[in-house]
Amino acid sequence: MNGRDGNGPGHGIRNGNGNGRYYGEALMNELTQESPRTTGDGTLAPLGYDNSGLALTDICRSIAEVVRVGPSRPRRVRIALGAASVEVEWDGEAASAAGTAPAPHPSGPVAAGGAGTEALEGHRECAPLVGTFYAAPAPGAPPFVQPGDHVEEGQQLGIIEAMKLMNPLEATRAGRVVEVLVGDGEPVEYGEPLVLIDPDDTGAGGPDEEG
Amino acid sequence: MGIGTVLVANRGEIALRVMRTCREMGIRTVAVHSTADQDSSHVREADAAVCIGPGAPRKSYLSAPAVVEAALRSGADAVHPGYGFLSEDPDFAEICAENGLTFIGPRPEVLSQLGDKAVARSLMTDAGLPVLPGSPGTVDSAAEASDLAGRIGYPLIIKAAAGGGGRGMTVVRTPSDLLPAYRQTRATAQAVFGDNRVYMERYCDSARHIEVQVLADGHGTVLHLGERDCSVQRRHQKLIEESPGPGLHPQLRSAIARAAVRGARAIGYTGAGTFEFLVHDEGFSFMEMNCRIQVEHPVTEAVYGVDLVREQIRVASGEALRTTQEDLVPRGVAVECRVNAEDPERDFAPAPGTLEEFVPPGGPFVRVDTHGRAGWKVPPQYDSLLAKVICWAPERGEALDRMDRALAEFRIAGPGVHTTIPLLRDIIADPVFRAGKHITSFLDTRE
Repeated sequence: MNGRDGNGPGHGIRNGNGNGRYYGEALMNELTQESPRTTGDGTLAPLGYDNSGLALTDICRSIAEVVRVGPSRPRRVRIALGAASVEVEWDGEAASAAGTAPAPHPSGPVAAGGAGTEALEGHRECAPLVGTFYAAPAPGAPPFVQPGDHVEEGQQLGIIEAMKLMNPLEATRAGRVVEVLVGDGEPVEYGEPLVLIDPDDTGAGGPDEEG
Repeated sequence: MGIGTVLVANRGEIALRVMRTCREMGIRTVAVHSTADQDSSHVREADAAVCIGPGAPRKSYLSAPAVVEAALRSGADAVHPGYGFLSEDPDFAEICAENGLTFIGPRPEVLSQLGDKAVARSLMTDAGLPVLPGSPGTVDSAAEASDLAGRIGYPLIIKAAAGGGGRGMTVVRTPSDLLPAYRQTRATAQAVFGDNRVYMERYCDSARHIEVQVLADGHGTVLHLGERDCSVQRRHQKLIEESPGPGLHPQLRSAIARAAVRGARAIGYTGAGTFEFLVHDEGFSFMEMNCRIQVEHPVTEAVYGVDLVREQIRVASGEALRTTQEDLVPRGVAVECRVNAEDPERDFAPAPGTLEEFVPPGGPFVRVDTHGRAGWKVPPQYDSLLAKVICWAPERGEALDRMDRALAEFRIAGPGVHTTIPLLRDIIADPVFRAGKHITSFLDTRE
């Protein structure tokens, strides 16, 4: 399954163009760092928040979510905690190219996950069927998992909706979530990698072998 | 309404064949494929492709939800089912309609009626088509089977009501074989089609398989495109087909064609369909109807100059057929040979493998429909059909000479790869076949 060629023939849906995605991933990892202070710049202390670390984490998570469900990856994200200002800037051209329609035109940059993720090490939870991926149990609800979360085998990672039926996506291995590879509401193909997990069982590291 | 994007819910040569017509009509194409077909030609040729499941057909090409999901997310407005897989599944046709997708084929109700071979038989009897003596409906008990068998006479054939493609049928020659065969066929029908209902018919040893191509629109026009002779069969699987049927009396030919048109009209058929008949000493009898494009459709296209897939798409989008019956005049003779990845020496065992060499024939009046290509590994999960070679000529003898030349030219080689080409050339050289005197038992009794 993982043998699918990310740089295969130029067909719309499977034409995973990794550009931009990588930028988005890097950004999101940065935004969701475990310690909020590593992303702060000393302005936290003067504000005197007792729970400022938590607040920043929440904001970062919200932004990560906005970034995830947005029409495309943002070009720039600015956070100013002092005045509680958050600016997310999208590239107008990229946004209009990606579109926001529920059934995207397959010639658009849909369902990437080939080229951009091949290089990532870890265990990939792949789509067991063709459908729509949902990262959260309901619109607006917090996602099932986020990068950094530890998951147990059998824990729900997301939902794949096919023909109005909600099919749970469950972890087949315990480990730490490295990355959720597709955005909420994105169409996915059978076998497409959805969640990258760094397995606890280090003896069987590296990309999962599937038949 | 116009069709802008067609999802082809199939694989192999027929998927390519449908896409070619779509392309000529300016229609975008979407392929679906299993993981075993990542690298298949139909995936390469489509404008877009969606992986819908693992290699097992039940979880990919036979999965209605997966195919419909793929259609919805790829922006398709119509689905062409090809042949086999979901092509005659009324539920699939209905699910397509419920999701706003045009199913390129007849209405779900028609599929449902004709999919049950026992119902089809009784519908056609009502429409005035001749049928062989047989059970009025399904035969649901051993006692009923014995009772009916006495009236039908031997030999008789027990067929699965949900059957098709030459599977789920048993010929019974003596009364002592009846009950074991009845039980066996029911068990097979249950296992293969998930439906154990069977029906019985008189069996003809000495018959020709003649089928009529029909084309009907939603505006009351029903046309026929003549007949095809598919009598060269190996265990009910067709190997060589041709149009027109050699040596058919003109009166018989037109009577069969008229019967097909009458049958299609009676059930309100739309799209391309095929009525299968047996032609025997006493005349001809309706066997079953296929509600889809057939493997052997290119021979009809060659003699009538009609692109059947184009007509299917036009009819599905609500257009009226442009031709009249008078305009449809056959020219010459077309023959099709099925090149299967099978080993005739080893009882036709599938012989898939990597096609190290694959060079199809060319030249005048030779058409090759294939998804094969050099370097491609034939996946073992699917039908063994590798290529169809179709040759046309003004006369049958010339068409057969051309076919022999084309088959000789066809180079297919690879470790473990065997094809039916040597057998096909053997048949073409056979005096019985050359004379057009072959019947359905020709191949099975030849050795």
